Amino acid sequence: MRTLLGLGFLVLIAPCPLQNLAAQERTTVGGYGEVHYTNPTGPKTPAVVNLARFVVYLAHSFDDRLAFRSELEVEDAKVEGGKPGGEVGLEQAYLDYRLADWITLRTGLVLAPVGIINETHEPPTFNGVERPGFDHDVIPTTWREIGVGAVGTIPGGSGLAYRVYLVNGLRADGLSAAEGIREGRQEGRQASFANPSFTGRLEWARPGVKIGGSFWYGGTADTNAAVGTGTFGAPVALVSADARYDSGPFALRAVVANISVSDAQAINAAYGRAVGGRIAGGYVEGGYNLLHLVAPGSSQKLNAFLRHERYDTQASVPAGVTRDRTLARRITTFGLTYKPTWNTAFKGDYQLLRNAAGAGEFEVLSLGMGYQF
Amino acid sequence: MSIALALLLLAVQTPAAPAAPPAKVAASIARVFGAGARADTLRVDTVSVLRVSRADSLLGFAAIGNVLGKDQPITFLVAIDPADRLKDVDILVYREPYGGEVAYEPWRRQFRGKTADDSLRVGKEIRSISGATISVHAVTLGVRRMLAQLTAWHQSGAIR
Repeated sequence: MRTLLGLGFLVLIAPCPLQNLAAQERTTVGGYGEVHYTNPTGPKTPAVVNLARFVVYLAHSFDDRLAFRSELEVEDAKVEGGKPGGEVGLEQAYLDYRLADWITLRTGLVLAPVGIINETHEPPTFNGVERPGFDHDVIPTTWREIGVGAVGTIPGGSGLAYRVYLVNGLRADGLSAAEGIREGRQEGRQASFANPSFTGRLEWARPGVKIGGSFWYGGTADTNAAVGTGTFGAPVALVSADARYDSGPFALRAVVANISVSDAQAINAAYGRAVGGRIAGGYVEGGYNLLHLVAPGSSQKLNAFLRHERYDTQASVPAGVTRDRTLARRITTFGLTYKPTWNTAFKGDYQLLRNAAGAGEFEVLSLGMGYQF
Repeated sequence: MSIALALLLLAVQTPAAPAAPPAKVAASIARVFGAGARADTLRVDTVSVLRVSRADSLLGFAAIGNVLGKDQPITFLVAIDPADRLKDVDILVYREPYGGEVAYEPWRRQFRGKTADDSLRVGKEIRSISGATISVHAVTLGVRRMLAQLTAWHQSGAIR
Protein backbone atom coordinates (compact mmCIF):
# COMPACT_ATOMS: atom_id res chain seq x y z
CA MET A 1 0.00 0.00 0.00
CA ARG A 2 1.35 3.34 -1.04
CA THR A 3 0.94 5.95 1.65
CA LEU A 4 1.58 9.62 1.58
CA LEU A 5 2.01 9.76 5.32
CA GLY A 6 5.78 9.79 5.19
CA LEU A 7 5.63 13.02 3.29
CA GLY A 8 4.48 14.76 6.39
CA PHE A 9 1.26 15.73 8.00
CA LEU A 10 -0.39 18.87 6.88
CA VAL A 11 -0.26 22.30 8.22
CA LEU A 12 -3.74 22.99 9.39
CA ILE A 13 -5.75 25.93 10.52
CA ALA A 14 -2.64 28.06 10.10
CA PRO A 15 -2.80 29.60 6.63
CA CYS A 16 -0.84 27.81 3.92
CA PRO A 17 -0.91 27.62 0.11
CA LEU A 18 -3.36 24.75 0.03
CA GLN A 19 -4.84 25.60 -3.35
CA ASN A 20 -1.45 25.43 -5.05
CA LEU A 21 -0.73 22.04 -3.55
CA ALA A 22 -4.11 20.63 -4.40
CA ALA A 23 -3.84 21.57 -8.06
CA GLN A 24 -0.99 19.10 -8.69
CA GLU A 25 -1.73 16.55 -11.40
CA ARG A 26 -1.09 12.89 -10.70
CA THR A 27 -1.16 9.60 -12.62
CA THR A 28 -1.84 6.27 -10.92
CA VAL A 29 -1.22 2.78 -12.25
CA GLY A 30 -2.78 -0.37 -10.84
CA GLY A 31 -4.05 -3.64 -12.10
CA TYR A 32 -5.44 -7.09 -11.53
CA GLY A 33 -5.23 -10.46 -13.18
CA GLU A 34 -5.86 -14.17 -12.85
CA VAL A 35 -4.48 -17.46 -14.14
CA HIS A 36 -6.73 -20.53 -14.27
CA TYR A 37 -6.23 -24.28 -14.45
CA THR A 38 -9.50 -26.04 -15.29
CA ASN A 39 -9.99 -29.77 -15.63
CA PRO A 40 -13.52 -30.90 -16.56
CA THR A 41 -14.55 -34.54 -16.14
CA GLY A 42 -14.71 -36.80 -19.18
CA PRO A 43 -12.16 -38.56 -21.38
CA LYS A 44 -12.01 -35.99 -24.19
CA THR A 45 -11.73 -32.91 -22.03
CA PRO A 46 -8.09 -32.31 -21.19
CA ALA A 47 -7.12 -29.81 -18.55
CA VAL A 48 -6.59 -26.25 -19.75
CA VAL A 49 -4.37 -23.54 -18.31
CA ASN A 50 -5.20 -20.00 -19.25
CA LEU A 51 -4.08 -16.49 -18.39
CA ALA A 52 -7.72 -15.55 -18.15
CA ARG A 53 -7.31 -11.86 -17.44
CA PHE A 54 -4.59 -9.25 -17.35
CA VAL A 55 -5.95 -5.82 -16.60
CA VAL A 56 -4.13 -2.50 -16.33
CA TYR A 57 -5.77 0.24 -14.31
CA LEU A 58 -4.74 3.73 -15.33
CA ALA A 59 -6.07 6.87 -13.67
CA HIS A 60 -5.18 10.52 -13.84
CA SER A 61 -6.21 13.40 -11.61
CA PHE A 62 -6.33 16.67 -13.51
CA ASP A 63 -7.14 18.66 -10.39
CA ASP A 64 -8.93 18.21 -7.09
CA ARG A 65 -12.27 17.55 -8.78
CA LEU A 66 -11.65 16.12 -12.22
CA ALA A 67 -10.25 12.62 -12.69
CA PHE A 68 -10.02 10.04 -15.47
CA ARG A 69 -10.19 6.32 -14.67
CA SER A 70 -9.79 3.31 -16.96
CA GLU A 71 -9.25 -0.44 -17.12
CA LEU A 72 -7.73 -2.05 -20.20
CA GLU A 73 -8.11 -5.82 -20.34
CA VAL A 74 -6.38 -8.58 -22.23
CA GLU A 75 -8.29 -11.87 -22.01
CA ASP A 76 -6.65 -15.25 -22.69
CA ALA A 77 -3.16 -13.70 -22.94
CA LYS A 78 -3.09 -13.22 -26.70
CA VAL A 79 -5.24 -12.11 -29.59
CA GLU A 80 -4.49 -13.63 -32.96
CA GLY A 81 -6.54 -13.62 -36.16
CA GLY A 82 -8.30 -16.86 -36.96
CA LYS A 83 -7.71 -18.35 -33.50
CA PRO A 84 -10.51 -18.78 -30.96
CA GLY A 85 -10.44 -16.94 -27.64
CA GLY A 86 -8.48 -13.82 -26.87
CA GLU A 87 -9.91 -10.38 -26.51
CA VAL A 88 -8.60 -6.90 -25.85
CA GLY A 89 -11.15 -4.50 -24.46
CA LEU A 90 -11.73 -1.49 -22.31
CA GLU A 91 -13.66 -2.44 -19.20
CA GLN A 92 -14.06 1.12 -18.01
CA ALA A 93 -12.96 4.55 -19.25
CA TYR A 94 -14.67 7.58 -17.79
CA LEU A 95 -14.25 11.08 -16.43
CA ASP A 96 -15.43 11.94 -12.93
CA TYR A 97 -16.22 15.46 -11.83
CA ARG A 98 -16.60 15.63 -8.05
CA LEU A 99 -19.01 18.38 -7.04
CA ALA A 100 -19.47 17.31 -3.42
CA ASP A 101 -19.43 14.13 -1.31
CA TRP A 102 -23.02 13.48 -2.30
CA ILE A 103 -22.58 13.93 -6.03
CA THR A 104 -19.91 13.14 -8.59
CA LEU A 105 -20.84 13.50 -12.25
CA ARG A 106 -19.55 10.71 -14.48
CA THR A 107 -19.40 10.19 -18.23
CA GLY A 108 -17.76 7.62 -20.47
CA LEU A 109 -17.70 3.83 -20.55
CA VAL A 110 -19.12 2.83 -17.16
CA LEU A 111 -19.89 -0.44 -15.37
CA ALA A 112 -23.57 -1.25 -14.97
CA PRO A 113 -24.06 -1.00 -11.18
CA VAL A 114 -25.83 -4.36 -10.99
CA GLY A 115 -25.21 -7.13 -8.45
CA ILE A 116 -21.92 -7.76 -6.64
CA ILE A 117 -19.34 -9.02 -9.15
CA ASN A 118 -19.97 -6.63 -12.03
CA GLU A 119 -18.54 -3.63 -10.20
CA THR A 120 -16.22 -5.46 -7.80
CA HIS A 121 -14.64 -8.10 -10.01
CA GLU A 122 -10.99 -8.23 -8.90
CA PRO A 123 -10.08 -11.90 -8.33
CA PRO A 124 -9.15 -11.62 -4.61
CA THR A 125 -12.63 -10.24 -3.85
CA PHE A 126 -14.53 -13.44 -4.68
CA ASN A 127 -14.24 -17.15 -3.93
CA GLY A 128 -13.83 -19.68 -6.70
CA VAL A 129 -11.49 -19.65 -9.68
CA GLU A 130 -14.18 -18.73 -12.20
CA ARG A 131 -16.70 -16.01 -11.51
CA PRO A 132 -20.10 -17.51 -10.62
CA GLY A 133 -22.06 -18.78 -13.63
CA PHE A 134 -24.91 -16.52 -12.53
CA ASP A 135 -22.58 -13.55 -13.10
CA HIS A 136 -22.09 -14.73 -16.68
CA ASP A 137 -25.49 -15.98 -17.82
CA VAL A 138 -27.90 -13.79 -15.82
CA ILE A 139 -25.94 -10.63 -14.91
CA PRO A 140 -23.63 -10.40 -17.93
CA THR A 141 -20.37 -9.50 -16.17
CA THR A 142 -18.35 -7.45 -17.05
CA TRP A 143 -21.28 -5.34 -18.24
CA ARG A 144 -20.24 -1.88 -19.36
CA GLU A 145 -21.87 0.66 -21.65
CA ILE A 146 -21.39 4.31 -22.57
CA GLY A 147 -23.40 7.02 -20.86
CA VAL A 148 -23.69 9.78 -18.30
CA GLY A 149 -24.70 9.69 -14.67
CA ALA A 150 -24.06 10.55 -11.09
CA VAL A 151 -22.64 8.69 -8.09
CA GLY A 152 -22.36 9.65 -4.45
CA THR A 153 -23.09 8.99 -0.83
CA ILE A 154 -26.20 10.32 0.83
CA PRO A 155 -25.02 12.70 3.58
CA GLY A 156 -25.87 12.59 7.25
CA GLY A 157 -24.23 9.25 8.07
CA SER A 158 -27.14 7.34 6.59
CA GLY A 159 -24.79 4.69 5.20
CA LEU A 160 -26.51 4.98 1.82
CA ALA A 161 -24.75 5.33 -1.52
CA TYR A 162 -26.21 5.53 -5.02
CA ARG A 163 -25.25 5.34 -8.68
CA VAL A 164 -27.53 6.27 -11.59
CA TYR A 165 -26.71 6.33 -15.29
CA LEU A 166 -28.32 6.93 -18.66
CA VAL A 167 -26.49 4.60 -21.07
CA ASN A 168 -26.88 3.00 -24.49
CA GLY A 169 -29.27 0.05 -24.56
CA LEU A 170 -28.91 -3.65 -25.24
CA ARG A 171 -29.45 -5.02 -28.75
CA ALA A 172 -32.16 -7.65 -29.21
CA ASP A 173 -30.17 -9.42 -31.94
CA GLY A 174 -27.67 -10.59 -29.34
CA LEU A 175 -30.16 -12.13 -26.90
CA SER A 176 -30.06 -15.93 -26.62
CA ALA A 177 -31.67 -18.87 -24.86
CA ALA A 178 -28.56 -20.01 -22.99
CA GLU A 179 -26.92 -16.70 -22.09
CA GLY A 180 -29.92 -14.41 -21.80
CA ILE A 181 -29.03 -10.78 -22.39
CA ARG A 182 -25.25 -11.37 -22.41
CA GLU A 183 -24.48 -10.91 -26.09
CA GLY A 184 -26.93 -8.01 -26.26
CA ARG A 185 -24.30 -5.85 -24.59
CA GLN A 186 -22.59 -3.32 -26.82
CA GLU A 187 -19.58 -2.58 -24.60
CA GLY A 188 -18.72 0.80 -26.08
CA ARG A 189 -17.97 -0.54 -29.56
CA GLN A 190 -19.82 1.64 -32.12
CA ALA A 191 -22.87 1.15 -29.94
CA SER A 192 -26.33 1.98 -31.23
CA PHE A 193 -28.01 4.65 -29.13
CA ALA A 194 -31.44 3.96 -30.64
CA ASN A 195 -32.64 2.67 -27.26
CA PRO A 196 -31.20 4.52 -24.29
CA SER A 197 -31.43 2.66 -20.98
CA PHE A 198 -31.52 3.65 -17.35
CA THR A 199 -29.58 1.77 -14.71
CA GLY A 200 -28.88 2.43 -11.08
CA ARG A 201 -28.17 1.12 -7.64
CA LEU A 202 -28.81 2.03 -4.03
CA GLU A 203 -26.75 0.39 -1.32
CA TRP A 204 -26.51 0.52 2.45
CA ALA A 205 -23.35 -0.24 4.41
CA ARG A 206 -22.23 -0.93 7.96
CA PRO A 207 -18.95 -2.52 9.06
CA GLY A 208 -19.18 -6.07 7.75
CA VAL A 209 -22.54 -5.50 6.04
CA LYS A 210 -23.56 -4.32 2.61
CA ILE A 211 -27.04 -4.56 1.13
CA GLY A 212 -27.86 -3.34 -2.35
CA GLY A 213 -30.61 -3.11 -4.92
CA SER A 214 -30.08 -2.52 -8.64
CA PHE A 215 -32.16 -2.01 -11.78
CA TRP A 216 -31.81 -1.74 -15.53
CA TYR A 217 -34.56 -0.63 -17.89
CA GLY A 218 -34.38 0.03 -21.60
CA GLY A 219 -35.45 -0.96 -25.11
CA THR A 220 -33.54 -3.40 -27.30
CA ALA A 221 -35.25 -3.11 -30.72
CA ASP A 222 -32.56 -0.90 -32.26
CA THR A 223 -33.94 -0.10 -35.75
CA ASN A 224 -35.81 -3.36 -36.29
CA ALA A 225 -39.51 -2.43 -36.40
CA ALA A 226 -40.42 -6.12 -36.44
CA VAL A 227 -39.07 -6.38 -32.91
CA GLY A 228 -40.44 -3.13 -31.57
CA THR A 229 -40.71 0.58 -32.13
CA GLY A 230 -40.14 3.65 -30.02
CA THR A 231 -37.48 4.53 -27.49
CA PHE A 232 -38.36 1.61 -25.26
CA GLY A 233 -39.24 -0.91 -27.99
CA ALA A 234 -38.85 -4.54 -26.83
CA PRO A 235 -37.83 -3.53 -23.29
CA VAL A 236 -35.60 -5.45 -20.92
CA ALA A 237 -36.34 -4.81 -17.25
CA LEU A 238 -33.92 -6.10 -14.61
CA VAL A 239 -34.21 -5.92 -10.85
CA SER A 240 -31.61 -7.38 -8.52
CA ALA A 241 -30.88 -7.49 -4.80
CA ASP A 242 -27.70 -8.51 -3.04
CA ALA A 243 -26.26 -8.80 0.44
CA ARG A 244 -22.79 -9.36 1.89
CA TYR A 245 -22.03 -10.10 5.53
CA ASP A 246 -18.63 -10.57 7.17
CA SER A 247 -18.25 -11.33 10.85
CA GLY A 248 -14.96 -12.58 12.21
CA PRO A 249 -14.22 -15.82 10.40
CA PHE A 250 -17.66 -16.02 8.71
CA ALA A 251 -18.56 -14.55 5.35
CA LEU A 252 -21.90 -14.79 3.58
CA ARG A 253 -23.11 -13.37 0.32
CA ALA A 254 -26.26 -13.74 -1.74
CA VAL A 255 -27.63 -12.28 -4.96
CA VAL A 256 -30.94 -12.64 -6.75
CA ALA A 257 -32.04 -11.16 -10.07
CA ASN A 258 -35.10 -11.17 -12.29
CA ILE A 259 -35.00 -10.06 -15.90
CA SER A 260 -38.14 -9.75 -17.96
CA VAL A 261 -37.96 -9.68 -21.74
CA SER A 262 -41.58 -8.82 -22.44
CA ASP A 263 -41.32 -9.00 -26.25
CA ALA A 264 -39.31 -12.21 -26.34
CA GLN A 265 -41.77 -13.67 -28.85
CA ALA A 266 -41.08 -10.89 -31.38
CA ILE A 267 -37.33 -11.17 -30.78
CA ASN A 268 -37.42 -14.92 -31.33
CA ALA A 269 -39.46 -14.50 -34.52
CA ALA A 270 -37.08 -11.87 -35.90
CA TYR A 271 -33.81 -13.63 -35.11
CA GLY A 272 -34.76 -17.31 -34.87
CA ARG A 273 -33.91 -17.61 -31.17
CA ALA A 274 -35.52 -19.15 -28.11
CA VAL A 275 -35.03 -16.28 -25.68
CA GLY A 276 -36.86 -16.70 -22.40
CA GLY A 277 -39.53 -14.20 -21.44
CA ARG A 278 -38.13 -14.27 -17.95
CA ILE A 279 -34.53 -14.92 -16.85
CA ALA A 280 -34.16 -15.42 -13.13
CA GLY A 281 -32.10 -16.90 -10.35
CA GLY A 282 -29.47 -16.28 -7.76
CA TYR A 283 -26.94 -17.80 -5.44
CA VAL A 284 -25.96 -18.04 -1.81
CA GLU A 285 -22.41 -18.53 -0.62
CA GLY A 286 -21.00 -19.13 2.81
CA GLY A 287 -17.38 -19.13 3.84
CA TYR A 288 -15.32 -19.74 6.93
CA ASN A 289 -11.70 -18.69 7.54
CA LEU A 290 -10.00 -21.90 8.72
CA LEU A 291 -6.92 -20.00 9.91
CA HIS A 292 -9.12 -18.49 12.59
CA LEU A 293 -9.06 -21.92 14.28
CA VAL A 294 -5.32 -22.57 14.19
CA ALA A 295 -3.80 -19.07 14.07
CA PRO A 296 -6.41 -16.60 15.27
CA GLY A 297 -3.87 -13.77 15.32
CA SER A 298 -2.97 -14.13 11.65
CA SER A 299 -4.13 -11.59 9.10
CA GLN A 300 -3.82 -14.22 6.37
CA LYS A 301 -6.93 -16.12 5.37
CA LEU A 302 -7.74 -19.64 4.30
CA ASN A 303 -11.40 -19.52 3.40
CA ALA A 304 -13.35 -22.71 2.91
CA PHE A 305 -16.49 -21.88 0.95
CA LEU A 306 -19.64 -23.43 -0.46
CA ARG A 307 -21.78 -21.75 -3.09
CA HIS A 308 -25.05 -22.91 -4.59
CA GLU A 309 -26.42 -21.27 -7.71
CA ARG A 310 -29.86 -21.82 -9.20
CA TYR A 311 -30.81 -19.90 -12.29
CA ASP A 312 -32.80 -20.39 -15.45
CA THR A 313 -32.42 -18.34 -18.62
CA GLN A 314 -35.82 -19.72 -19.66
CA ALA A 315 -37.63 -19.26 -16.35
CA SER A 316 -40.63 -18.62 -18.56
CA VAL A 317 -40.87 -18.84 -22.33
CA PRO A 318 -43.15 -17.09 -24.86
CA ALA A 319 -45.53 -18.99 -27.13
CA GLY A 320 -43.70 -21.07 -29.70
CA VAL A 321 -40.74 -21.97 -27.51
CA THR A 322 -40.37 -25.30 -25.75
CA ARG A 323 -38.53 -24.88 -22.48
CA ASP A 324 -35.08 -26.39 -22.51
CA ARG A 325 -34.70 -27.74 -18.99
CA THR A 326 -30.92 -28.00 -19.29
CA LEU A 327 -30.96 -24.20 -19.04
CA ALA A 328 -32.35 -24.46 -15.51
CA ARG A 329 -28.91 -24.67 -13.94
CA ARG A 330 -28.00 -25.84 -10.44
CA ILE A 331 -24.31 -25.27 -9.82
CA THR A 332 -22.63 -26.20 -6.58
CA THR A 333 -19.07 -25.01 -5.99
CA PHE A 334 -16.90 -25.74 -2.98
CA GLY A 335 -13.26 -25.09 -2.35
CA LEU A 336 -10.56 -23.08 -0.67
CA THR A 337 -9.22 -19.57 -1.10
CA TYR A 338 -5.84 -18.83 0.48
CA LYS A 339 -5.09 -15.12 0.83
CA PRO A 340 -1.57 -14.33 2.13
CA THR A 341 -2.55 -10.66 1.78
CA TRP A 342 -5.94 -9.10 1.25
CA ASN A 343 -5.13 -8.41 -2.40
CA THR A 344 -3.65 -11.75 -3.51
CA ALA A 345 -5.39 -15.12 -3.67
CA PHE A 346 -4.62 -18.73 -4.48
CA LYS A 347 -7.74 -20.72 -5.22
CA GLY A 348 -8.89 -24.27 -5.64
CA ASP A 349 -12.43 -25.49 -6.12
CA TYR A 350 -14.64 -28.27 -7.41
CA GLN A 351 -17.83 -27.56 -9.31
CA LEU A 352 -20.86 -29.77 -9.84
CA LEU A 353 -22.68 -28.44 -12.91
CA ARG A 354 -26.19 -29.86 -12.85
CA ASN A 355 -29.48 -28.92 -14.50
CA ALA A 356 -33.17 -29.67 -14.19
CA ALA A 357 -33.09 -32.03 -17.22
CA GLY A 358 -30.22 -34.08 -15.80
CA ALA A 359 -28.58 -34.05 -19.25
CA GLY A 360 -25.06 -33.00 -20.17
CA GLU A 361 -24.00 -32.64 -16.58
CA PHE A 362 -20.32 -32.55 -15.66
CA GLU A 363 -17.85 -31.58 -12.98
CA VAL A 364 -14.83 -29.32 -13.01
CA LEU A 365 -11.70 -29.13 -10.88
CA SER A 366 -10.14 -25.67 -10.97
CA LEU A 367 -7.01 -24.08 -9.56
CA GLY A 368 -6.06 -20.46 -9.89
CA MET A 369 -4.23 -17.42 -8.66
CA GLY A 370 -5.29 -13.81 -8.69
CA TYR A 371 -4.01 -10.42 -7.62
CA GLN A 372 -4.92 -6.77 -7.54
CA PHE A 373 -2.96 -3.66 -6.65
CA MET B 1 10.02 3.32 -21.82
CA SER B 2 11.97 2.84 -18.60
CA ILE B 3 12.41 6.61 -18.23
CA ALA B 4 8.70 7.13 -18.69
CA LEU B 5 8.06 4.46 -16.09
CA ALA B 6 10.51 6.07 -13.67
CA LEU B 7 8.83 9.44 -14.11
CA LEU B 8 5.49 7.78 -13.60
CA LEU B 9 6.66 6.13 -10.39
CA LEU B 10 8.11 9.44 -9.23
CA ALA B 11 4.77 11.08 -9.91
CA VAL B 12 3.01 8.35 -7.96
CA GLN B 13 5.34 8.57 -5.01
CA THR B 14 5.70 12.31 -4.61
CA PRO B 15 2.30 13.91 -4.86
CA ALA B 16 1.77 17.21 -3.15
CA ALA B 17 0.13 16.71 0.21
CA PRO B 18 -3.54 17.41 -0.31
CA ALA B 19 -5.32 19.40 2.31
CA ALA B 20 -8.65 19.83 4.01
CA PRO B 21 -10.45 23.17 4.18
CA PRO B 22 -9.66 24.85 7.55
CA ALA B 23 -13.38 25.15 8.31
CA LYS B 24 -13.72 21.39 7.98
CA VAL B 25 -10.80 20.82 10.37
CA ALA B 26 -12.29 23.25 12.90
CA ALA B 27 -15.67 21.52 12.68
CA SER B 28 -14.01 18.13 13.15
CA ILE B 29 -12.11 19.31 16.26
CA ALA B 30 -15.34 20.73 17.71
CA ARG B 31 -17.18 17.49 16.99
CA VAL B 32 -14.48 15.25 18.49
CA PHE B 33 -13.57 17.36 21.56
CA GLY B 34 -16.85 19.19 22.14
CA ALA B 35 -17.89 22.81 21.78
CA GLY B 36 -15.52 25.40 23.22
CA ALA B 37 -12.41 23.32 22.52
CA ARG B 38 -9.49 25.55 21.59
CA ALA B 39 -6.69 24.40 19.31
CA ASP B 40 -3.17 25.74 18.89
CA THR B 41 -0.58 24.41 16.49
CA LEU B 42 2.64 22.72 17.64
CA ARG B 43 5.49 22.02 15.25
CA VAL B 44 7.36 18.72 15.52
CA ASP B 45 10.06 18.48 12.89
CA THR B 46 8.15 19.63 9.83
CA VAL B 47 4.85 18.32 11.08
CA SER B 48 2.00 20.24 12.65
CA VAL B 49 0.11 18.81 15.59
CA LEU B 50 -2.97 20.40 17.06
CA ARG B 51 -3.05 20.74 20.85
CA VAL B 52 -6.63 20.92 22.00
CA SER B 53 -7.63 22.39 25.34
CA ARG B 54 -10.58 23.95 27.12
CA ALA B 55 -9.91 26.64 29.75
CA ASP B 56 -6.69 25.36 31.38
CA SER B 57 -7.19 21.65 30.89
CA LEU B 58 -5.59 19.64 28.08
CA LEU B 59 -8.16 17.65 26.09
CA GLY B 60 -5.74 15.94 23.73
CA PHE B 61 -3.91 16.18 20.42
CA ALA B 62 -4.87 15.80 16.78
CA ALA B 63 -3.03 15.53 13.51
CA ILE B 64 -3.97 15.27 9.87
CA GLY B 65 -2.56 12.81 7.36
CA ASN B 66 -3.09 11.46 3.89
CA VAL B 67 -3.12 7.93 2.55
CA LEU B 68 -3.56 6.91 -1.03
CA GLY B 69 -6.71 4.97 -1.80
CA LYS B 70 -7.01 3.39 -5.24
CA ASP B 71 -5.92 6.58 -6.97
CA GLN B 72 -6.84 9.52 -4.73
CA PRO B 73 -5.43 10.71 -1.41
CA ILE B 74 -7.77 10.33 1.55
CA THR B 75 -7.33 13.17 4.06
CA PHE B 76 -8.04 12.05 7.61
CA LEU B 77 -7.71 13.32 11.17
CA VAL B 78 -6.67 11.31 14.22
CA ALA B 79 -7.37 12.65 17.72
CA ILE B 80 -6.00 11.25 20.99
CA ASP B 81 -6.76 12.08 24.61
CA PRO B 82 -4.09 12.98 27.24
CA ALA B 83 -3.78 9.25 28.13
CA ASP B 84 -2.85 8.46 24.48
CA ARG B 85 -6.10 6.67 23.79
CA LEU B 86 -7.55 7.25 20.35
CA LYS B 87 -10.48 9.63 20.76
CA ASP B 88 -11.78 9.55 17.22
CA VAL B 89 -10.91 9.31 13.54
CA ASP B 90 -12.43 11.66 11.02
CA ILE B 91 -12.39 11.54 7.23
CA LEU B 92 -11.90 15.18 6.23
CA VAL B 93 -11.83 14.81 2.45
CA TYR B 94 -12.72 11.66 0.52
CA ARG B 95 -12.08 11.87 -3.22
CA GLU B 96 -12.41 8.30 -4.53
CA PRO B 97 -15.43 7.16 -6.55
CA TYR B 98 -15.90 3.95 -4.50
CA GLY B 99 -15.23 3.26 -0.83
CA GLY B 100 -16.68 6.38 0.81
CA GLU B 101 -18.12 4.09 3.49
CA VAL B 102 -14.93 4.69 5.53
CA ALA B 103 -16.42 8.08 6.43
CA TYR B 104 -19.47 6.46 8.04
CA GLU B 105 -19.56 6.80 11.80
CA PRO B 106 -20.27 3.08 12.47
CA TRP B 107 -16.97 2.23 10.77
CA ARG B 108 -14.86 5.01 12.32
CA ARG B 109 -16.31 4.20 15.75
CA GLN B 110 -14.28 0.98 15.81
CA PHE B 111 -11.07 2.94 16.43
CA ARG B 112 -12.23 4.70 19.60
CA GLY B 113 -10.33 3.87 22.76
CA LYS B 114 -7.55 2.04 20.90
CA THR B 115 -3.93 2.68 21.82
CA ALA B 116 -0.60 2.30 20.04
CA ASP B 117 -0.37 -1.14 21.71
CA ASP B 118 -3.41 -2.38 19.78
CA SER B 119 -2.52 -3.98 16.46
CA LEU B 120 -5.44 -2.42 14.53
CA ARG B 121 -5.69 -4.90 11.70
CA VAL B 122 -8.44 -5.17 9.13
CA GLY B 123 -10.48 -8.30 9.69
CA LYS B 124 -9.46 -8.45 13.36
CA GLU B 125 -10.01 -5.32 15.47
CA ILE B 126 -11.32 -3.40 12.45
CA ARG B 127 -14.13 -4.89 10.39
CA SER B 128 -13.97 -4.26 6.67
CA ILE B 129 -16.72 -3.09 4.34
CA SER B 130 -17.36 -4.92 1.06
CA GLY B 131 -16.62 -2.72 -1.92
CA ALA B 132 -14.50 -0.37 0.21
CA THR B 133 -11.60 -2.76 0.84
CA ILE B 134 -8.83 -0.56 -0.53
CA SER B 135 -9.97 2.50 1.43
CA VAL B 136 -10.47 0.44 4.59
CA HIS B 137 -6.91 -0.91 4.44
CA ALA B 138 -5.43 2.48 3.54
CA VAL B 139 -7.17 4.42 6.30
CA THR B 140 -6.51 1.71 8.90
CA LEU B 141 -2.79 1.76 8.08
CA GLY B 142 -2.73 5.56 8.17
CA VAL B 143 -4.50 5.69 11.52
CA ARG B 144 -2.21 3.02 13.00
CA ARG B 145 0.91 4.98 12.00
CA MET B 146 -0.52 8.31 13.08
CA LEU B 147 -1.57 6.94 16.46
CA ALA B 148 1.93 5.48 16.99
CA GLN B 149 3.57 8.76 15.98
CA LEU B 150 1.38 10.94 18.21
CA THR B 151 1.85 8.56 21.12
CA ALA B 152 5.64 8.50 20.69
CA TRP B 153 5.83 12.29 20.52
CA HIS B 154 3.60 12.71 23.52
CA GLN B 155 5.54 10.19 25.62
CA SER B 156 8.90 11.73 24.63
CA GLY B 157 7.66 15.21 25.47
CA ALA B 158 7.91 16.46 21.88
CA ILE B 159 4.30 17.51 22.24
CA ARG B 160 2.92 18.43 25.63
